[in-house]
Amino acid sequence: MDIERQSQHEGSVATVLDDVWVTIVWNDPVNLMSYVTHVFQTYFNLPREVAARHMREVHENGRSVLSSGPREKMEVDVQAMHSYGLWATMQRSGE
Amino acid sequence: MKGFERRDGFAVAELDEEERLVVARIVADVALLLGAESFGLDGGAEPEAASDIDDPFAHLRGLEESIREPSDPAILRLLPNAAPTDRDVAAEFRRLTDGELRSIKTRRLRRMWEQLSAGDDEWAVPADAALETAAALTDVRLVLASRLGLATDDDAERLHEEIDLASHALATDDDGMLPVDPERVWLGMLYQALTWLQDTLVEFVSEQE
Repeated sequence: MDIERQSQHEGSVATVLDDVWVTIVWNDPVNLMSYVTHVFQTYFNLPREVAARHMREVHENGRSVLSSGPREKMEVDVQAMHSYGLWATMQRSGE
Repeated sequence: MKGFERRDGFAVAELDEEERLVVARIVADVALLLGAESFGLDGGAEPEAASDIDDPFAHLRGLEESIREPSDPAILRLLPNAAPTDRDVAAEFRRLTDGELRSIKTRRLRRMWEQLSAGDDEWAVPADAALETAAALTDVRLVLASRLGLATDDDAERLHEEIDLASHALATDDDGMLPVDPERVWLGMLYQALTWLQDTLVEFVSEQE
């Protein structure tokens, strides 16, 4: 694969293959619990209970990880959350 | 004001003329903050269409330049920093998404403004536009919350208490003794009304599943 060959060339195969990012949604005092649950359910295609669990995590722990994957995908997810007025950020997994 | 209810496949709320004017004005103000053209009072003007023709590459222009983080905290809340721990990632994200997010948000606000400006006490939102209307209401509430200094859940609780106190003072004709700034009370009441409207709209959306 091209990506792999190029990475080997740069001596950073592990970095590329392990380069997993996460989308985090943070608590805010404005968004309604019902709305946040619905947005999670609709956008991430989650069953209602799972969406509600993430919503409670946001509300009670201040944040919840909603998705993980390559950086480009997380940019799409974070942008979608911002379009709904949710406060989302992205970072490398484990940071 | 009556919250949203299901009627013939629409989510319908009722707002009298004054309520519609107030809500339409704040909706237009939020769109202005996002850089939209002023929502005209003449109805049909769509200035973006003309400028698109003038400059077919307008939507590409922003892609080359870096875009500064908004200095107004309210706008920053609508277009937040996507990577507070990594300046390069944050800048790249803003460069890629700022224009599109602004146009999505202004389009939703404009649609809401048009519905509110239709001159009808019934504010009818088609079912397939209910979620995006709820999103536009969130943006308006985020701006109001920023102006009201609501940063935590406790701040939001305190606002409710302040408004209860103020309503009580008004009800007992004691408004000379109003414990809080009248403008803050006014904004706070608008915030609460929009919260309630949004809540009833989200209920409508959730029932659709």
